[in-house]
Amino acid sequence: MNFLNINGVKKIFNEGKESESIALKGVDLTIEKEEFIVISGPSGSGKSTLLNIIGGLDSANEGSVTLDGVEITALNENALALFRRENIGFVFQAYNLIPVLTVKENIEYVMRLMGYSQQECDARVMEVAKELDIDAYLDKLPDHLSGGQQQRVAVARAVASKPKLILADEPTANLDSKNGEKLMALMQKLNKDEKVTIIFSSHDPMVIAKARRSIVLKDGLIFEDKVR
Amino acid sequence: MFSTALFVFVSAISDGSHKQIIRSSVEIYPGYMEITNAAFEDDPSFENLIFDVQKAKESLQGIDGVQASSVRFETYALYATSEKSVGGMFCGIEPENEAKISRLKASLVAGEYLNSDDTNALYLGEELAKRLHVKVGDTLSFISTAADYSFAADNLIIKGLFKTKLYEFDNSSAFVNKAYFDTVMKSQNIATHIILSPKDIEQIDATTLLVQQVLSKELEVKNYKETMEDLILAMEVDSVFGYITLGIFFIVIFFVIAIFAFLSVYARIRQIGILRAIGTTPRGVMSMILVEAMILGTISVGIGGAVSAYGAYYFEKNPIELSSMGDLDMEEYMTQYNMVAEITFPTDFNPSNILIQMFIMLLLNIVTVIYPIIMMNRFTPTEAIRYV
Repeated sequence: MNFLNINGVKKIFNEGKESESIALKGVDLTIEKEEFIVISGPSGSGKSTLLNIIGGLDSANEGSVTLDGVEITALNENALALFRRENIGFVFQAYNLIPVLTVKENIEYVMRLMGYSQQECDARVMEVAKELDIDAYLDKLPDHLSGGQQQRVAVARAVASKPKLILADEPTANLDSKNGEKLMALMQKLNKDEKVTIIFSSHDPMVIAKARRSIVLKDGLIFEDKVR
Repeated sequence: MFSTALFVFVSAISDGSHKQIIRSSVEIYPGYMEITNAAFEDDPSFENLIFDVQKAKESLQGIDGVQASSVRFETYALYATSEKSVGGMFCGIEPENEAKISRLKASLVAGEYLNSDDTNALYLGEELAKRLHVKVGDTLSFISTAADYSFAADNLIIKGLFKTKLYEFDNSSAFVNKAYFDTVMKSQNIATHIILSPKDIEQIDATTLLVQQVLSKELEVKNYKETMEDLILAMEVDSVFGYITLGIFFIVIFFVIAIFAFLSVYARIRQIGILRAIGTTPRGVMSMILVEAMILGTISVGIGGAVSAYGAYYFEKNPIELSSMGDLDMEEYMTQYNMVAEITFPTDFNPSNILIQMFIMLLLNIVTVIYPIIMMNRFTPTEAIRYV
């Protein structure tokens, strides 16, 4: 059985209104465990929408998404949140860290929700923070960090609870090329060491070049699906 | 915090002023309980008096709920000086006992109060003295009908003047020692009223019942709830208006808190979207915000409640004095409307009421955040994160 099955997913925004727009027109896709995939395409092609639907952050108008045997498009909001907590890590373009929590608290937040003890949280936070070279900033608030550092904190938060899937929506968009490359190297390492399936959306050629599988979206449909 | 403080303090003032008005009206002269002949209310004539005061007083001795009692004989007389004649109430009282059940003695403004050895000594309302153009030490005459329907008249020396601030009463009342009164009015062992004061006002209904049980059939006892029924009704009506005002106050507070709660929750909608995206359930969001509202509410209600409770306690001990409002003399103003010219308003410090009011405010605080949370949970995490 495939790790991720996407069948005929359609997404229409403002359905029935004058401003109606079709973001996805019936996407079919299968993804295996431990894949390292980039979804690219021009602006408005539906990259972010597809990632949001895969992650259960948004609902599809039609079609289904099955992740690790669970049809997430059939789950209610509470069940979906619990599923996300256990299985999916997110890295957002705008980092989306909680500004009132310290770096450490941001990283351990999901683990605390999952019921990890304080000792387990401390150990895992330290392990991930050292790996991402942010262990010196654990007591700082996110606003006191640079963009690159904040994105590494966001990656740390996404991987700390050892999810099966990491979804990263244009994670390098707000980073300079040096920090972007560093982040990609880090994600590749996590994919290899932690055996996490990683799906990016990006139109950054550097990111696209590093992926083992590249999917191109155009006008809400899969235009190209290439494995290197 | 301010809403709680205001709510608790306004309630304390309202309760305090009601109690004060009733207390003043009862204690100035009428008294908490009165024994009369059962027919006296319908026909207040000399045929319907208490004809064996001694026996009635003896029967009260075994009742624990009665703190003090005093005998009165109220009738009317014509007072005359060399220049003027004025009609008014003429009343024989037991000076020492009267001091325990009313504020007559405490209302002395000139001269001296009566004592049980006095003869021909008159304790006169200040307003009545003004009408008669007399002062302490002056002499006036009275004529009246004695208890045996004979003619009674004598000269009286004004021993003291009183001012209860109940204008009509001060304008028409005069008192003499009951022993002297009995001599000139032929009223030995006879009275119109025996006034009682209870040990515990809260238990007054039970005490009234006990007193009625020991009295002979021709006598009856009533407490202030019956004798001052109109006043109690007026206070109840005032309370109803108070509750309506409080209801409006509540609605205003509810919307003010609701607006702040709405703004506070919506200002964090993006943050909450992020929390939901990384695994916080909608139920978790609700619990988190409710706990936050409870903590903040407890702190603010606690501070507001404590401040206003202190205010209620302080102003109960040191009543608010409204001697004047700008150019308006409050005492003069109230006198014009024949009201008890109370110019001090104590609050009512009632800890259980304050706790209930604080609890209501806390509940209100918590209820107001429920709607914004429900609204916010309708957004998908993506919509919430993108919300501006």
